[in-house]
Amino acid sequence: MKYIILITILSFTYFKVTEARPVSYPGGITLMLMNDSEKNSLHAHYSPSAQTSFGYKFEYWRSNEFSLNMIQMNNLIKRWNKPESQANFYIKSGIGSAYSDKGHFESKNNFAGFIGISADWEDQRYFIKYGNRYTNAVEIDNFYTQFVHVGITPYIGDYGDIHTWLMIKVNHTPEFKRNINVTPYLRFFKNVHLLEVGADTRGKIMFNYVYRY
Amino acid sequence: MKRLILLFIFIISLDKHSLAQDKNLTIYAYVNGLVCDFCARALEMTISKKDEVESINVDLKDKVITINFNENQRLENSVITQLINDAGYTVREITNAKK
Repeated sequence: MKYIILITILSFTYFKVTEARPVSYPGGITLMLMNDSEKNSLHAHYSPSAQTSFGYKFEYWRSNEFSLNMIQMNNLIKRWNKPESQANFYIKSGIGSAYSDKGHFESKNNFAGFIGISADWEDQRYFIKYGNRYTNAVEIDNFYTQFVHVGITPYIGDYGDIHTWLMIKVNHTPEFKRNINVTPYLRFFKNVHLLEVGADTRGKIMFNYVYRY
Repeated sequence: MKRLILLFIFIISLDKHSLAQDKNLTIYAYVNGLVCDFCARALEMTISKKDEVESINVDLKDKVITINFNENQRLENSVITQLINDAGYTVREITNAKK
């Protein structure tokens, strides 16, 4: 736990990259609502520069019935801009509190934190992303999770068109009973809106919405 | 006489056209990393904040931004490059005519 706190503090204060890259654009605000078979989450962040964003994160993990309230910071460590593609490498971290009243927990509150990395590559036809995260909520729960998203679009649109992507997500969480979860989904992208709808192989619905302004 | 008037009108219209081109400059910035609508939005919001900019158009397919300036105003290429870098992208080339 000490390491999570240390790394989180470091990422809040230390990581500055010389090459510009937006988490959003400077002054941009992003709202993300994510719902899948494992959790419901809300993340709202502000980007003071193209390298960093910080904001509020709420998560409710359904199987273990606990919630997280956190301040989250995302730092872009490196971005590769190419004529036809873009790739990114981020560190994401959060610090806050966990709450649970499952089983022997009676309105249990304690400190929580997480840290993870994320890397993606995309052009206008293909998309691939890998990410991982270690979450520590002290007595309530702690676990490691990783995921891969792969996508392809059947057509290439211009700015303002509706972009449609055929996507698949694979989650791996070793501590969970069903530790591998596969979710095919559709991604729709238009201007400042991004919508993702799908269902995993057990039929659990995934619904995500992102708004950037 | 009719021909003379027609010639005069033609010359005036040509002159107006070239004057308008001088006053309202348009430049084209070719950008690396421009792959999605969020990228386009980031560039649009960052560049359009400048008072000199009248309008901006982002072409995702050709990865080019068209910047139209207000009358008798413009931004230096170095300023445009910095704005695009600030938004998180890099400039391949800035030209006065679309390729």
